[in-house]
Amino acid sequence: MSPASWLGWTSDLADLVRVPVTPFSHVGILITNWVRPAIDPSDLPTDEQERNELAIAERDHYRKLWTAQMLRATELADQLRELQALPSSALRNPQPPMNVQIDITGRRSSDIAGSLELKLARGTSERILVGDIAVIGQDIVGRVSRVGLTRAELHPTNHKDIGLTRAAIIPAHPAAGRSPLLAEIIMQSTGEAAMIAEVPATSGVQKGDLVQLDDSSWPRVAAGLTLGVVSKVIQLDEAPLRQRVLIVPRRRARDVSRVVVLGTGAEKNQ
Amino acid sequence: MRVIVLIVATIFALAFDSSVGGIFTLRSVGSITPLAMPVLIVFIALFAPETVAIIVALLLGALVDLSPGYGELEGGAHLIGPHALGFVVTTILVLKVRNVVFRRRVFTIAVLTAGAVITTGATDAFVLLARGLLPWTPAVSSGGFGDLLKLIGTAIYSGLLAVPLGWCLLATIGLWKFHSPTGRRATWR
Repeated sequence: MSPASWLGWTSDLADLVRVPVTPFSHVGILITNWVRPAIDPSDLPTDEQERNELAIAERDHYRKLWTAQMLRATELADQLRELQALPSSALRNPQPPMNVQIDITGRRSSDIAGSLELKLARGTSERILVGDIAVIGQDIVGRVSRVGLTRAELHPTNHKDIGLTRAAIIPAHPAAGRSPLLAEIIMQSTGEAAMIAEVPATSGVQKGDLVQLDDSSWPRVAAGLTLGVVSKVIQLDEAPLRQRVLIVPRRRARDVSRVVVLGTGAEKNQ
Repeated sequence: MRVIVLIVATIFALAFDSSVGGIFTLRSVGSITPLAMPVLIVFIALFAPETVAIIVALLLGALVDLSPGYGELEGGAHLIGPHALGFVVTTILVLKVRNVVFRRRVFTIAVLTAGAVITTGATDAFVLLARGLLPWTPAVSSGGFGDLLKLIGTAIYSGLLAVPLGWCLLATIGLWKFHSPTGRRATWR
């Protein structure tokens, strides 16, 4: 019952026991090899079958490895594409952009403005602060509302806790006769699919115009990024000089598996 | 009992199991090889005084445990116990029945040898399982239905081997100088 490390002395004892037996065993082995030589493993009838099974198992193993590496390469290519699509202002951020995975657990399709959980790699939580933004390409898709050691919570731009946001409406395509800045608005997120704002009836806002962030309470790097597009312009009966515009995000964090967070936190020195 | 005869027989049995036994290996049915040592154990248990038989079984079992290929641990160490205890249990069982069997029949030795292999294998497995439960030893990873079938095959094959070996041992019974406590009546059977 003793551990194997305590039984080292038995190997010496076994050697002593072998002394009288070995001469007879040696003669016996000579006789055995003479009478019945050992079979070459390659002569065994099952050897070819075993080799085939081994080769098939190895092939399947390496095929799985190849598939895994292919998926990993595709994932890295997607991340690179997302980083390349970032606006140049993101590069001026003190912290490099972070590609963060979104947790799909608990995501409900009916809750169109529900919060999302981001999975943080170890040591990255210090680089993210509450209020930092998450982007996909040129579009803001949400704002960090809570940061833990391994998780962060992200409010989409249409989440009701986002509240009021200052923004500007610009034409989607510069055209003659249209002002480059159509209106400055205060956009309200209500938790519905679309955000709402009011503009003067003379602003010339049309469906498809872009809404860009212009709010000093948001991180500086977010200025000028797109919050959404005008989906509908409604004339207000109670205020003939004003119009209500509905704004929907172009990109949604819930539709993708990863977002880029432009963190403003300071990284701890190791 | 003559010790010198026992030593010679033990050396031959150990040498047979580690070398010549390979001639009889059935390679097509899981490399089943007959064993000579259980034949010797059964023979001694049938004719030697009880205390002597148990002590000899313990010693021979320890020798088997120290043989190459049996109970080897990491670093070349040997686990003394599985066969030592197995042969003792086997001897005790043979001692229980030896007064009601025809001891001088080769058939008796063959049947008891097959039983001895099964009993020793079961004790061996029990010892290894009990050892595997201890926190400082690795858990048992071998065994299973395949090994059980191999044990049964080894028992049957060893029983067959016991026919010529048992005949040889019975032919040399005078050299062993067994002193039976039951007198002539025991040797008469």
